[in-house]
Amino acid sequence: MSNWVIAMMLGVSIFLGAAALFAFLWAIKNGQFDDEEKFLNAAKFDGEDELNDAFKREQKKKALKKEYRPE
Amino acid sequence: MIKDNSNYFCCNGCQGVFKLLSDEGFDSFYAKTQDVKLSPPLEKFEDSSTFDSESFRDAFVKVNSDGFNEIALIIEGIHCSACVWLNEKALHKMDGVIEANINFTNNKATVVWADDIVKLSAIIEMIRSIGYDAFAYDSSIQEVYANRERKSYYLKMAVAIFASMNIMWIAVAQYAGYFTGITQDVKTILNIAEWILATPVLFFSGWVFFKGAYYGLKNRVVNMDLMVATGALLTYIYSIYITVTEYGEAYFDSVSMIITFVLIGKFLEVLSKKNAADTLDIVGKHIPSETKILLDDTIITCKLENVKVGNIVVVSSGDRILLDGEIVKGQGSFDESNLTGESEPIYKKIGDSVISGTTSIDADIYFRATKDFKHSTLSNLVTLLESAINKKPKIQQMANKLSEHFSSVILGFSFLTFVVWFMLDNGFETSFMIGISVIVIACPCALALATPVATLVGLNLGAKRGILFKEAAQIETIAKVDTLVLDKTGTLTVGKPEVVKQSHFEEFDKELLYSLVKLSKHPVASGICRYLENEDETPGEILFDEFSQIPACGIKAQYRGKEILGGNIKLLELHGIKIDFISDNTLFYYAVDRKVVCIYELSDKIKDSASELIAEMQKRNINVVMLTGDNEKSARNVARKVGITELYYEQTPEDKSNFIESLHAQNRSVVMVGDGVNDILALSRADIGIVMGSGSDIAVEIGDVVLLNDSLTSLKDAFKISKITFGLIKQNLFISLVYNAVTIPLAMAGYVIPLVAAISMSLSSLLVVGNSMRIRYKFKQN
Repeated sequence: MSNWVIAMMLGVSIFLGAAALFAFLWAIKNGQFDDEEKFLNAAKFDGEDELNDAFKREQKKKALKKEYRPE
Repeated sequence: MIKDNSNYFCCNGCQGVFKLLSDEGFDSFYAKTQDVKLSPPLEKFEDSSTFDSESFRDAFVKVNSDGFNEIALIIEGIHCSACVWLNEKALHKMDGVIEANINFTNNKATVVWADDIVKLSAIIEMIRSIGYDAFAYDSSIQEVYANRERKSYYLKMAVAIFASMNIMWIAVAQYAGYFTGITQDVKTILNIAEWILATPVLFFSGWVFFKGAYYGLKNRVVNMDLMVATGALLTYIYSIYITVTEYGEAYFDSVSMIITFVLIGKFLEVLSKKNAADTLDIVGKHIPSETKILLDDTIITCKLENVKVGNIVVVSSGDRILLDGEIVKGQGSFDESNLTGESEPIYKKIGDSVISGTTSIDADIYFRATKDFKHSTLSNLVTLLESAINKKPKIQQMANKLSEHFSSVILGFSFLTFVVWFMLDNGFETSFMIGISVIVIACPCALALATPVATLVGLNLGAKRGILFKEAAQIETIAKVDTLVLDKTGTLTVGKPEVVKQSHFEEFDKELLYSLVKLSKHPVASGICRYLENEDETPGEILFDEFSQIPACGIKAQYRGKEILGGNIKLLELHGIKIDFISDNTLFYYAVDRKVVCIYELSDKIKDSASELIAEMQKRNINVVMLTGDNEKSARNVARKVGITELYYEQTPEDKSNFIESLHAQNRSVVMVGDGVNDILALSRADIGIVMGSGSDIAVEIGDVVLLNDSLTSLKDAFKISKITFGLIKQNLFISLVYNAVTIPLAMAGYVIPLVAAISMSLSSLLVVGNSMRIRYKFKQN
C-alpha cells in the first residue's frame, strides 16, 4: 500500500468525522439540546405548517432588521 | 358547565380562550394536549402597563446585538408541550415579535421584539389572553452564567472526545508498528494526522487549563491546571519536534488524553454546582406584591410598598399577612408556625398584634399597619437572609488541597530529572524527553476523576432514595460534620396535630362528625378529618341545614333539628356545657344536643424513626441539639421521647442563626435540619442546611440538601451515603497517589516506554472509576 493511500484515507475519514462534529457543535450552540423535553417533542409537532412558520419568521426578522439597520 | 355548540366549558375563561384560539386558527392546540387536563385561565391580573414603564425597562429589558429588545420571562401555567407550542405560536404571530423561545423544563422564556412596532405590555396581554401569565426575571443572575459555562463545556468536550477517539485508532497503528516494524514514512503520516487532531484538543478544549494556570500564577498558587497545561504543552511541542525530525516516538495521544480526562473531571464538577444567587430571586417571588387596604370605606388593592403606617389592611381567612400591625376589627386564629415553630394555632382579638409572614386560619380581620413594608418582619427576614447566604462557610475540598501540593512536587521532580539526566551527559534531547515523561506519567487524570466520579455515584444513590444534594461538595462536608441541629415542628414531628387518643361516651354518627370537621380549615379539624379517613372506611358526607364557624372556638351546625358542636372547651362554655377532662394534649370536643359524646386528644406526632436517628448520630459522635420556637413544655416533651439532651426553646429565627454562629465560633461544623420560614436564616448560615421536601418553598430553595419524602430515615441515609462516599474519595486519592509513587520513579529512571505510559494512564483512571462504583454496594451492605 503506497503512502498516499494511507494519507488520503486518513484525511478523508478525519474530514468526514470533522464535518459531523461541526454539525453537532452548531446544534449545541444553536440551543437545540437546551430543553430536552422540547427537543423530544419537536418530532411530534413537526409538519408542513411548522416549516412554513419557521420560514415566515426568518423573513420577518430579515425585514425588521433592515428597518433597524439600513445597509 | 357552559354549552357552546358541541363543546362544553367549565367557565367563561376557558370558553374565551377557546374562541380566541379558533379565531386565530390555533385550534389544533386541543388535539396536541391529548389527555392533559387544563386548568381554567386566571382572571385577575395586575395592570400590564407597568411592563412599559421606564424603571421596568432598566431592570429587565436588554438590547441585543441586532438592536432589538430582549427580555427573560417566566411563563406561568405551562403544563405540557402543547402549552409551549401555543405560546410560541401566538407570540410569533404578533407583528414585531421576532423570537419567542420557551423552555418547557423550567418555563423560562426569551422574547425578542422590536419596540417601535409592538409594546411589551401588548405581548404580556397576549400571553394572558390565551390563559397564561408571565412575569419578568432578571436574567443576569448566576443561573444564566452557569448555563453558558455548561454549554461551553459541552462544546469543549465534544471536540476533545471526538479527537481523542480518532487519535486512539491511529495510535493502535502506531503501537502495532512499534512492535512489528513500521517505515518512517508511514509513521510520519500517522504523526501528522495525530498532530492535526491534537491541536484543537490542546488549544480549544484545553484552553480552560491555560486560563486556570494563568490565574493561579497571578495569585502565586501552583494548581493542577498549571501542571496539566505545562505537561500537555511540553509534550505537544516535543511531539512536533519528533514529527519534524523523524526520530523517536511522538506523544500526541497523551496530549489529547490528558486534556480529555481532566476536562471530563472538571465538567462533572461544574455539572453539580448549585447557583446560589437564584435563591434570592425566589424569596422575592414568593412575596405577593399587593395587598387589600381600606380607604374611605372602600376596599382597594394597593402595592405593598405604598402601604403607609396607619393604613387599615384587610385580611380574609386563609390569607397570608404581609405587614405588621394591630387588629382593629375581628378576631380569629392565626398560624404562626412559619415564624415561631408553634404548632398550635394562636387566637388573636382586637388590640393584639399580627406579624407579617404568618397566615390567618379563620380570621376575617382589619388591622392597622404599624410598620411599612420595608421595616416589616417579613422583609427584615429577607434582608437578613441575603447577608446570611454570603456568610456561608466554605470548606475546601480535600482533592483541591492535595492537588496543589501534588502539582508543585511533580513539576519539581520533572525539572530535577531533566537536570540530573542532562548533567550525566545524556544529551538535551533524551533528558528533555525523560523529564516530560515524568509529567505525562503523573498525569493527574486519576486525581482529577477521584472526587467527581465518586460524588456523582453518591448523588445518584441519594436521588434514588429521595435525598437531593444540590451540590457535590456537600457530600464531603456532611461527612466531616460534628454537630447536628434539629428543628422540632415539621422536622422531628409531623408538624400537624394528629389524633393520639379518643374517648367515647356515647354512640354517634361518624358521618356527621366527618362532614363537620371537613368544613373547617383549622389544623385540629383537619387532623380529625385525616384520622376518620384513615379508619376502615371513609364516612360519607351530608349537607347541614345550618352551619357557622365561631372564631377560635369551633364549629356549630344544625342537622334535622339536632344541634351539633365541635370545638374546644371555650365552645362548650359558650353553650353552657360543663365537663371535666384533663389532658396534656389539645382537645376536640364533639357534642350533640348539648351532650358531649366524644373527645379526641390530638398532639403533634413524633416522626417514626426519630429516636433511631438520634441513637445513630450519638454512635457516630455527632452532637445533637434541638432548637425550637415552641414553648418549653412541648419542647421538653419531644426531646425526652427521642432522647435529645441539649435543647433550646422559644427561639426566634435570629436566635437560631446566632446559635449556629456561636457553634462556628467554637470551630464546629454544623448540619441544620429544618422546614419552615423560621429556619431559613439558620439553614443558610449552617455548613449544610437540610430541608424537608414538604417545607416552605423558600426553605426548600435555600437548603443544600432536600429530603423529598420528609422521613428521618432519609436523613440517616444522607449521613450514611456521605460517609461512604467520602471514604471512597479518600481511597481513590490514595490509589492515584500510590500509582504515582510507583510509576514516577520508573519514569525518572527513564524506563517508561510510550505504550506503558498510555496504558497505565488509562488503567489508573479505570481503577478510580471502578472503585467509585462500589459506593452502591457498600451502602446496601451496611
